[in-house]
Amino acid sequence: MGVILEVKSLTKKYSGLTAVNDFSFEIQKGEFVGLIGPNGAGKTTIFNLISGFEKPNSGKIIFNGINITGMKPYKIVNLGVTRTFQLVRAFKFMTLLDNVKVSCLSKRGKKLAQDYGIDEYASTILASVGLVDKARIPPVILPHGDLRKLQIGKALGTNPQLLLLDEPFSGLSHEEAQGITDLIKKLHDDGVTVFMTGHVLRELMHLVHRVIAMHQGKFITEGPPREVANNKIVLEAYLGRGEKFA
Amino acid sequence: MKSRVKNLNAKIKEFPNYLKDWIKSFKGGLTVFCVIGLFLIPLITTSPYFLGIFMLSMIYAIFSASWDLLAGFVGKVSFGQAIFFGLSGYIVGSLLKFNNYIWWSALIIGITFSVLIGLIIGGITLRLKGPYLALGTMVIGIILQKVFALYQLKPILYGDQGISGIPPLSSSSVVTYYVILILMIISFIIMIKITKINLGTIFRSIRDDETGAEASGINTVKYKIIAFIISSCFAGLAGGLFVMYNRAINPLVFQPLYSFYALVMAALGGIATISGSALGAFIFVFLGEIVRDLADPLFIFSIILILIVRFASEGILRSALERLRDFWDILIGR
Amino acid sequence: MIEEFLVFGAAQSAVYALLAMGYSLVYGVGGILNLAHGAYYLLATYIFFWLLPFFVGAFGFILGMILTLIIISLIGMASYLLIIKPLQDHEISVLIGTFALAFFCEQLVSVLFDPRTKSISTIWDANINFFGVQILLHRIILIITALIAVGLVTLFINKSKLGKSIRAVSQDKEAASLMGINVDRILMYTVTISAFLAGLAAVFYCPIDRVAPYMGWVVLTDSIAIVILGGMDSLPGSLVGAFILGYVRMFTNFFIDPVISTIMPVLVIIIILVIRPRGLFGKKEIK
Repeated sequence: MGVILEVKSLTKKYSGLTAVNDFSFEIQKGEFVGLIGPNGAGKTTIFNLISGFEKPNSGKIIFNGINITGMKPYKIVNLGVTRTFQLVRAFKFMTLLDNVKVSCLSKRGKKLAQDYGIDEYASTILASVGLVDKARIPPVILPHGDLRKLQIGKALGTNPQLLLLDEPFSGLSHEEAQGITDLIKKLHDDGVTVFMTGHVLRELMHLVHRVIAMHQGKFITEGPPREVANNKIVLEAYLGRGEKFA
Repeated sequence: MKSRVKNLNAKIKEFPNYLKDWIKSFKGGLTVFCVIGLFLIPLITTSPYFLGIFMLSMIYAIFSASWDLLAGFVGKVSFGQAIFFGLSGYIVGSLLKFNNYIWWSALIIGITFSVLIGLIIGGITLRLKGPYLALGTMVIGIILQKVFALYQLKPILYGDQGISGIPPLSSSSVVTYYVILILMIISFIIMIKITKINLGTIFRSIRDDETGAEASGINTVKYKIIAFIISSCFAGLAGGLFVMYNRAINPLVFQPLYSFYALVMAALGGIATISGSALGAFIFVFLGEIVRDLADPLFIFSIILILIVRFASEGILRSALERLRDFWDILIGR
Repeated sequence: MIEEFLVFGAAQSAVYALLAMGYSLVYGVGGILNLAHGAYYLLATYIFFWLLPFFVGAFGFILGMILTLIIISLIGMASYLLIIKPLQDHEISVLIGTFALAFFCEQLVSVLFDPRTKSISTIWDANINFFGVQILLHRIILIITALIAVGLVTLFINKSKLGKSIRAVSQDKEAASLMGINVDRILMYTVTISAFLAGLAAVFYCPIDRVAPYMGWVVLTDSIAIVILGGMDSLPGSLVGAFILGYVRMFTNFFIDPVISTIMPVLVIIIILVIRPRGLFGKKEIK
């Protein structure tokens, strides 16, 4: 299949605090991988580092053979890595259609969208996440579940090869989360490699094929969900801090 | 490629219908009415004084719209619009007076210079967060004001008296009036069009969430600079035209206060509307004339400004337009 | 010449320190870039100018100072309540609102008095022989007063209960309010203090400088320059910045050209923003 993402000895320090400590892992093309760890473990920092929003102190990130360490975020997106945010980011005063359209106007997204007509393509994406009837509405009045769908739509517009989803179920009811789960599954079936973090693990553990666990910035273990869920250190990291686990 | 050509052909065929629909719409009808009105003004009066008030309004309209494009649509509030206004003004003024250039070639040079300076200043200041961008641009204005006033630099920069006795565009005020009017219309068509095409969508995404735009694959630095130079281009156009109307220019033109005027006019008409800047500019200039005999205009303006900022975040244009729109609907029987 | 330069520089730095402390406090605590800071100085000078004729003698002079300080502090408080607080949600609105206020104040004094530059004579007009240099007593008193004020404010911020609350808010507004601190009240006090300090600078400096409508902008740009140089949210930084800029200005004034010295602060702002936007000691991000 081939390795799509290689993270080597990634370290990120803030004054006094090491958020990510000598972290290494690999993701194969077409995989569906989860990143778990209690609050503050450093999951979002890893995402920020991979997607270029933060620069590591040391270490390398290689995507499809290209060294993307420290590259500007928009360039990384245009190479094929798109990330979503824990707190949904949307363009508040623009319509949903325009929200997705912006992604379609990226260099990478445009290449694909142009052939269909950018507006049509954006509409199609909105339809695929079930929001096309709200195309002319701005995000401010949407319920949270729809915002999460929008988030995925916006990510789709950039035509990603590797999708980094930061806590895509956060704040969702079980039904809403189910809808997102179906969306993500379909994405993966269509060939997108998915790398997902999660804090509430119920949905995540059933979706992913492999789990990487981290705690306090350090790599703990990785493997199939069942194995990792029973790993002693992982359990301690979660239960020891009184976190919800399964 | 074929689909894009097809698309374009379809759009061209649709244009007459599109135009008809637009005129029938409230905003379109009102705009056409105003534009026709402006064309007719010189038939009503040829007094240089009255034409001058209109000319100043139109010049300020371009100036203010250039600020609105940057601030209202890209979210970058600059307090330095006067920088380009002034630089272009000085260049055009000096080329007209000392080098006998024709007005349009001087104007082109002035605009080109504004764009180049816009590139430099944009490159420096756009990296800074909101208030610092405003501060940085404001400060550059102050420094230009002081530098241009330095008597040591008088030979090249003309000192605190500036340049005066600049030859007009034409000996006839009417001709000057129409040139400015046409340039204003073209400027507004361009600026409004920009907000409606994909470029405008990208601009607005930067305004609403710059990080989000970056995460959507947009090269925000590139587009911010593009916006800045478009803005400086039109501010430069306004500055060049100003000098042809005013026949003089001095270092005070660089004051942050003048940049502020652009803001006030845009705010009066409604920020992020472009067309509102025109209304705001006309109100600003006309009000200034009316008030001039009663009290110190600046003083009145400062009061009005505080009131606007404090109470009207939307601008006068919106609520006035809403009432007019209801009236219009009744008129055409909707 | 050198000795004079040193003393004049010290006086300038002293004034700058008062101005910059207040400005940096307001920014550090509230994230507010108060473009009306110069207006506090301006109004204080005109209030002082207006009050003085009513009082006589040395005692009157000092009484005039005290009254001016009280009035300008109240004005500072009002400016917070009427302009800054309602516009707090949008940084840009605060900028525009305080700019409008500054503009209004300049126009107000031009209309109420007249646009011409005025001067105030000081009661401390004796020349003291200080290490071989003739120095105006007033200058020395200015320096001493500034030192005391800076010291008191620093003590206040670090030791007093209110000072602790101020520091808490400057670190994390939300956390502070969750701990029961009335953030709004703290911001108001901070702005009031900054107005007081600006007023203090005003009443002590204008008798050896001038009273003019444009002084508001001069003071504002100087304050911004110092604070950007020192680091916008760092109090010690602003003191260092005040010292550096004070002497840079005096140096250009004495040994280059007085007119060029008025450009120095602005140059500083631009250079710092380009090279090291965070300033010497600044912590918060400004990019």
